[in-house]
Order: sequence, then C-alpha cells, then structure tokens
Amino acid sequence: MQLIVTAISKAYASVQAVKQVSFQINSGEIFALLGPNGAGKSSIIRMLVGMTQPDSGSIMISYQDQHFDHVPRRFLGYLPEDRGLYPDKSIEKNLLYLAQLHGLTKSKALTEMDYWLDVFELTERRHEDLKQLSKGNQQKVQLIAAVLHQPALVILDEPFSGLDPINQEKVVVFLKQLKAKGMTVILSAHQMAMVEKLADHMLLMAQGRVVLAGTLQHIQQQSQQQQRMKIATASAVTAEQLQQLHGVLSVEPLQAQHFLLTLAGDVSVSDCLKQLLQHAELTLIEMQTPDLHQLYLAAMAKHKPEVAA
Amino acid sequence: MISRQSLIVAKWEFLRFFKWKQQLVSYLLMLGVMAAVALWSFFTDESRQQYRIAVPAQLQIVNTEQFQFQRPGIGFEAQLAQMRSDSSWHAVISEEQGELVVHTLTGKKWLAQLEAVLQQHYRQLSAEKMGLSATQLSQLEQPVSISTRYLDQSYKGKDTPEKMIALGALILLFVGLSTAFGQVLVSITGEKQQRVTEQLYAIVTPQQWMDGKVLGHSFSALKAMITSGLVMLLAFAVVSLFAEKAIDLSWLNIGVVLWLVPFALLGVVLCASFMGAIAASIDDPNNSGKSAVMMITWLPMVFTFMVIDSPAGWGMTLLSFVPLTSFAAMPVKMAMVTVPWWQPLLSLLLLLATVYWMRRVAGRVFLRGMQMYGKEPSWGDIVRWALSNKTE
Repeated sequence: MQLIVTAISKAYASVQAVKQVSFQINSGEIFALLGPNGAGKSSIIRMLVGMTQPDSGSIMISYQDQHFDHVPRRFLGYLPEDRGLYPDKSIEKNLLYLAQLHGLTKSKALTEMDYWLDVFELTERRHEDLKQLSKGNQQKVQLIAAVLHQPALVILDEPFSGLDPINQEKVVVFLKQLKAKGMTVILSAHQMAMVEKLADHMLLMAQGRVVLAGTLQHIQQQSQQQQRMKIATASAVTAEQLQQLHGVLSVEPLQAQHFLLTLAGDVSVSDCLKQLLQHAELTLIEMQTPDLHQLYLAAMAKHKPEVAA
Repeated sequence: MISRQSLIVAKWEFLRFFKWKQQLVSYLLMLGVMAAVALWSFFTDESRQQYRIAVPAQLQIVNTEQFQFQRPGIGFEAQLAQMRSDSSWHAVISEEQGELVVHTLTGKKWLAQLEAVLQQHYRQLSAEKMGLSATQLSQLEQPVSISTRYLDQSYKGKDTPEKMIALGALILLFVGLSTAFGQVLVSITGEKQQRVTEQLYAIVTPQQWMDGKVLGHSFSALKAMITSGLVMLLAFAVVSLFAEKAIDLSWLNIGVVLWLVPFALLGVVLCASFMGAIAASIDDPNNSGKSAVMMITWLPMVFTFMVIDSPAGWGMTLLSFVPLTSFAAMPVKMAMVTVPWWQPLLSLLLLLATVYWMRRVAGRVFLRGMQMYGKEPSWGDIVRWALSNKTE
C-alpha cells in the first residue's frame, strides 16, 4: 500500500487549517503527524478519512495494483479524536456491531475480538457495559474497534491522549504489533517521547504548515545547526574560561566540574577538545543528540515568525 | 436498494430499543391500572345501593329499585333530626311554596338520580292532569326516528363499523409515529453526543447509516402499532366476554386492512426519514428548537380526523393523494367509501417516490451536518442540502 498526499490545503471559514501539505507513506510504516492543538493534524486526518475534501491538492492511494483518489472505507481503520461508543452496551456487543459493519462474519469477528481483548487484558470484562469501564479501558476498546477487521491503513487521532504512562506504553506495544502484522499506521500526537519510539516517518506541523518532515534521524540532521557536548573536568575550571574558547557559543554549569557546552554547527569537535585539554584534564566527554521534543521546540521557535506571517 | 450495512444498522437500532421485559412490565402495569380503576368504580358505585327517602304524606310516588319513598308519621323537624342522629333517612323531601326541596347531609352522586325520578313522577302527574295516559306520555317522550339514505352508493354510512377501522387506523398511526419520534430523536442526537458518528462514518456511508436508522425505527413503530392493535382487539374481546356477547369481528374489513399495511409502512418510513433529517441537524437537543418540528408528522392524522365525516369530500380527496398526508387519509377514505382500484395504487406510488426522495434528503442532511463540527445548521442550510445532490 502506498499513500501519496500532494499539496493539500483546507480552509474553514476564515481559518486556513492546512496549507500545502505533502507527504508519502509506504506499506507497513508508522507515520506520525505531530504538532500542538490547532496545528492541522485532525484536519488532515478528516481529509484522509473522507469526511471533508481538500480545497486543493490530492490524496492518492495504491493497494494491490489498484489506484484510488480517496481512501476507500474497506481499507480503513479509524480512531477519531472525538471518540465514543455505545455506553449502555457491552464491550462484546459494541465490537461485534462495528466488526459486522466492516463486513466480518460473526465467527471471524469473535476470533479477532478474542485475540485483541487478550492483548489488552479485557477478556474477563467483555460482557460488561462500556460505561462500567475506566476511560483508559474504554480507549482500549476503541483501539480494538479500529483494527478488528485488519485494515490495510489504520488512522489513529491522538491515541495516547487521556492515558496514563503505563497504558501509553501498552499502546506503543499495540502499534508495534500492528506494524508487525503489516498494517500501515498514521497517528497524530503531541507525546513526542512515544512517537520517537515508534514512528518511521513524521511530519511536524504548526498552524497548518509543515515545519519538519522525514525520519527522526533526518529531522535531527535537518535541524543540527548547533552541537551540544557534556564534559567533566578533573581540575577546577570556570564557565567563563570555557566561554572564551573558539566555537563555544554558551556554557551551562551542571554540577561540580560538569558543564554543557553549546558549539557552533561548523566547529570541529576535535579542535574544540584540543583547546579544552590545554585548560583541564577531562574525565567525561559526551555528545548530546537532541530528542524529538527538543527538536520540535527548537523548530517551533525558529518557524514561529514564519507561520505567524 | 438497501445495503447489507443498512440492514445491520437497522437490526442494531431495532434491538437497541426492543426491551421486551420492560414492555411486558409496562403492559402489566397498564392492566393493573385498568383493574384498579374498574375496582374503584365498582366499589364506589352508588347506584347499586338502596336509599330511604322521607317524603310528605301527600306525595304518592312509586318506589324504585334504588329509592324507597316512605311517609313517616313524625314531623318534618323530627325527620331531619333522625337523619342527623342515626341516618334513618338518606334524604328528607319537603314542599315549600310550590317547589320540592331535598334535604340531605352532604353532596352525593345518587342525588342526580333521585332528581330524575322526581322529575319523571311530576311529568307523569302533569300528563294525568292534561288527561294523557302513561302510554301517550311515553310516546311523547320518544325521540323522532330520522334516517338518511345516501344517493352516493360508494358511501358506507356515518356510524358504520368501517368508521371504527378508520379511527383505529388513525390511532395506530399516531401510536407508531409517537414511538418513532422519541426513538429517532434519542438515537440520532444521542449518537452525535456520544461521538459515535465519526467512528461510524469511517465504516458506512451517511446514506447507509440513515437508511439503517430509518428502517430500524420504522420497524419499532410498526411493532408498537401491531402490539397496540392486538391489545385493542384483546380489550374488545374481554369487554365482549364481560358483556356476555359473542366476539363479533365481522366489522374487520380484511380488504381495507391489507391496504392499510403498505400505507402505514410507507407512511412510517416517510415520517421517520423526515424526523431523521431534522434530528441529524440537531447538535444539542437541550439547546435546539428543531425537535418540535418533528411533531409536524402528526398533522396528517389531525387533518384526516377533521374531515373524517366527509370521506368523499374534496378535503379528504386532496389529503388522500398528497404524499405527505396520503398514508393517513387514503386508508380512512377506503374504509368509509368505495374507491376505484387505481386511486390507492396511484396514491401509493406517489408516496413511494416521496419516501425515496425523503430518505436521500435525510442522508444528505446527516452528511453535511456532520461536517459542520458542532455548529448547528440553519433552516436555509437544510433546505439547500435537501435540494442538492451530494451524498458523499
């Protein structure tokens, strides 16, 4: 399966929700749409699901030598941002109803249901009404509903929201299982730490625009205009002394004889180390790679004037 | 063509509101209430008791089963004292300045019956004074017998059993549409508020969803109509048994009943589609005035009832062909006048076409309403969507 989104835009009344967004997703990938509230993630998802149409641009999907200009419902498993099922019906009845609507026979639906309820440790509670479950467990049921029919493409809008850290980890495991089963997953989130563990490709958005795109490694390279190095010295040295070194932009004292240096992107780390060794003996040298959260914040800060314009 | 998904939605909706235990309990409660009313009425029925009435010596009035008229040998004041102290008398009658006065302890229902007996006695006295016999008086009191013969051979008459079928049909339609009204409103607005609709949209088309809803609630409405019809027949049978009469169902015109079924079915589907369209445009039922508009679906029954005594008139003829009212009017007309075969057929075809259009409108309103994300559409929006052709 391959999904190609080309320059889609969408406006609601006076709000430009999505501006010229393009991306491509290949079969079996986990693709993350990242961004704060109002970034345009849900608008993109609603266009993918077919609830709204792009004002311009195109959505193309290819699957087993078939080509479509929209995502057909039969390929799709969907967890909406505004979620909810029938609270006065049992887990089993809710899931069976949705699975049968997806075209599954009752026996096939029950087999799939057994598997996923076991994964989410809900087997014992299958006959309980949904309203009797905690919010986290209700969300698990909704996740099962999205994948019970083994869709080729699973779209999950904010799958981590409302979950505690333990359940967030369970969702990470769940998403890895989907990938292992060959499903393609698109998810939107602002829990960067979770996405970092999962996503093959990601799209960082702000105010409807793409801020950063690609794999985590690619994004790190794209945004690597500064280098961060943690050092520890054996002898006493001051932050002011370190600040004087060529290529050092800033020095952040951490604890006794420990410092975090920010170096200019074009400075050679070995040259910098040679300078350092002239001042003090080093007991620790650690290059720091920015995580997704830091990259995102940096990108947002960098692009803020641009997106505001 | 109804899709498999629509049938699954229809089954889900039908079963969602089909709570047979609760329904059985409600029927038992209804029977309990009826039994309590009957028992209360039996125990408080004053007509089965006998009452002692003290009358003046000169009043020669004949006793009835209910009233024993006695002329006591004691004075009027003593009679009143007896009535107060030991209830020897239920009433004491005196003549004061040419009029009868009934003295009694407090207001009672049987006093009206006593008054009627006294009136009858005095009418008879007046007749005797005029030289009339009891038979002559009886003839005078008989109403004149007037019968009407209708030249229109198709008219079956004003107070015929067929009118019972017509009224029964209207009552059953009212029951069915009331059921559909509540269920459609709760089901659609509830689903929107429980945020199920977006999930369902990714699985079925808005039209499939709306078709399923309309079908499911139409089945519920028909179930309510059939159940109520059977309860009415049961009540008729029980009344016949208590009255020690044979159960006579000869008035039940099977031909008319057979026509009633497709009209009722399509009528309920039409109204459920209309209700579905309105409900789909409501975002929050607590803050929307649109739900009251769904009650428009009761108007066909009201209009038909208003012209029920002129079944061959222009009003009924108009109602029986206009698709929005024909489901109520045509069966009533057919029950009361003989109509050519093509009239119900034409009416049914027009109704069928309107049902098809209305279900498409409901699907379109649901689709476009969903895309407004929490903003309720205006009437102008709804009319525009109804006239558009977009279903996806």
